[in-house]
Amino acid sequence: MKAPAFSYARPKHLTDVLALLEKHGDEARLLAGGQTLLATLNMRLSEPALLIDMQSVQELKGLSLAGNSLRIGAMVTHSEIEASELVAQHAPLLRMAAPHIAHRAIRNLGTFGGSIAYGDPAAEWPACLLALDGIVVARNLQGERRIAARDFFTGLYTTELAANEVISACEVPLATPTHRFAFEELARRHGDYAVVGLAASAQMNEGELDQVRLAWIGVGNMPLRSTATEQVLQGQQLSDALLARALEALRSELQAEADLTHSAAAKQHLAGVMLKRVLNTLSSPAPALNSASTV
Amino acid sequence: MTHQEPSPDDLATDARAVSITINGTCSQHHVQPRTHLVDFLREGLGLKGSHLGCEHGVCGACTVQLDGQVVRGCLVLAVQADGRVVNTIEGLSDSGAIRELQQAFVRHNALQCGFCTSGMLMAAHELLEKKPDANREQVREWISGNYCRCTGYQAIVDAICDVLAQRSKAGHAAHAEGAVA
Amino acid sequence: MELQGSVTIPAAPAQVWQALNDPEILRLCIPGCEEVRQISPQEMHARVMLKLGPVRANFVGKVVMTDVRPLLGYTLNFEGSGGSAGFARGSSVIALTPTAEGTRLDYTAQASVAGKLGQIGGRLMDASARQLANRFFAEFKAQLTGVASGERQIAIAQSGPAEADSATAASANFPIVARANAAQPATGGNWFDKEKPRLLWFAAGMLATAFGVWMGAHWLR
Repeated sequence: MKAPAFSYARPKHLTDVLALLEKHGDEARLLAGGQTLLATLNMRLSEPALLIDMQSVQELKGLSLAGNSLRIGAMVTHSEIEASELVAQHAPLLRMAAPHIAHRAIRNLGTFGGSIAYGDPAAEWPACLLALDGIVVARNLQGERRIAARDFFTGLYTTELAANEVISACEVPLATPTHRFAFEELARRHGDYAVVGLAASAQMNEGELDQVRLAWIGVGNMPLRSTATEQVLQGQQLSDALLARALEALRSELQAEADLTHSAAAKQHLAGVMLKRVLNTLSSPAPALNSASTV
Repeated sequence: MTHQEPSPDDLATDARAVSITINGTCSQHHVQPRTHLVDFLREGLGLKGSHLGCEHGVCGACTVQLDGQVVRGCLVLAVQADGRVVNTIEGLSDSGAIRELQQAFVRHNALQCGFCTSGMLMAAHELLEKKPDANREQVREWISGNYCRCTGYQAIVDAICDVLAQRSKAGHAAHAEGAVA
Repeated sequence: MELQGSVTIPAAPAQVWQALNDPEILRLCIPGCEEVRQISPQEMHARVMLKLGPVRANFVGKVVMTDVRPLLGYTLNFEGSGGSAGFARGSSVIALTPTAEGTRLDYTAQASVAGKLGQIGGRLMDASARQLANRFFAEFKAQLTGVASGERQIAIAQSGPAEADSATAASANFPIVARANAAQPATGGNWFDKEKPRLLWFAAGMLATAFGVWMGAHWLR
């Protein structure tokens, strides 16, 4: 099916994007990578009057160091993150997750900001942002506000972002030598939506797990952390007993919902498998941070 | 390079002027915002080598190059390509860039109806550039975004691995020659 | 898709029942609802704009009530067409039980969505239904408890089918508050403006009746 007729603007400045958004409200749609939006339009599941293309807005691009954080411009593509040395060094979790996102052609256009704004429970970046305790920087005509990732995702395809706001960037804290990261995802075929996935970060203090963050993919109606299970792991050394306790906590905490291909029980079981793999990775000696291990 | 000026009426849906470099030649066209890149290439320019299978980005039949990277032509608007560089299967074929791949595809019977073939070749071409040391498993993963309903994929993977092997051998031979000389 | 749930509403069953049968309340509570029209005591027509993620689909449909047990519950059968987005059809059973806190409303629902939304959205059908149901009941509770600013006290008109008789006494003590929904300015005007004609006619009728009675009293003297 072909997309319905709409108008198109390609402003060069964020203020112009925001002005158009303010002026046209829900009749206008922001065009980032377009890998979700254009598919939606092709299927006529939405018929906006105007598309605001952000590809020429310089302020939204680029990966840079900002104090203790890595700043990821909203329009940075999945491929750019996959190939970035800054990311490899300072946020290796993102590099681990990137190859799981759809296929190359999608990754070459899809953007980090677009994925975060969409908040798909089966997407990689929202879970990574949660696992890294990142920040979403949102701009509107009145100014800027910073929203913690743990407060950002509120429901199915629902985020804290207001209708007149644009995500300008996300920030993640720089990895330190005591940080460990792990990413596991199960999909029926490469590039499919995750059946279950887990993005995790932790600090290792002399063999003890500290500040574990477990962010789940494809389990609920939004990206979410299993904070009770994280508490069970806090300050502990990995052992069979600890793993059993963590799996127990996970079973009661994670109310996995069935989807088209897997029952709730299957998802619960697979979540436990992911947790086990991830904990083993987190507890292993740190890999060299700039080893280029892409598929 | 033209820039999109917002029209006096923000909501005008009529055709816009775009300037796109297609297969090495820069040209000006008028195209409606709603038209995606592959429809523009096929219907507007008669470049029918790129195909439309699903029109929502999963089948890969529409794969073209935008600024040197493979993209889904059905998930890019023609107006988004204003001021950018597009290469299609016609361009890659005419320039000889994919000759080895094309010959390998024929040798291994890697196409039957041919509908997926242009997308497969675009993806394979990028693999040869980006990952010349790929093993069979990695080839399979690389082209997993391109669907084929006819061949069962084995012949396509064989063809790509064949070219990888040839290039690798040629590379080693050249290296050996260099070392001797 | 199947769904079930339970929600406690701090209001008497009679009030909850009345609100469930009030097209205006329903319009305010159904997420994205632009219009609800009562066609007959058992049938309503509605227009809803479904907004979920990037999707914007306009659904036009009808809701038919069967197995109506006043103050206790009913079964809703609904079907709606979303144009090229697809077609939805389903039913829902609502049951009211009085509790110490007010009323417990139990619901079960099943629905199927055919067409594109069904194909693409299949994996999230249950989650989206639950999200919409949650939003509906949150707003429904707010309407019945008069929470949040911008509310206007209105008394539901005393006319109505026989089964509401016992409800009217209750409603006199607990006027239902309908709040203008800020998210839907499209229809314009608040409840009072819209109901003004009906109220004026009612007032005119009362005056005419009173006049007639007075005249009759004088005539008969």
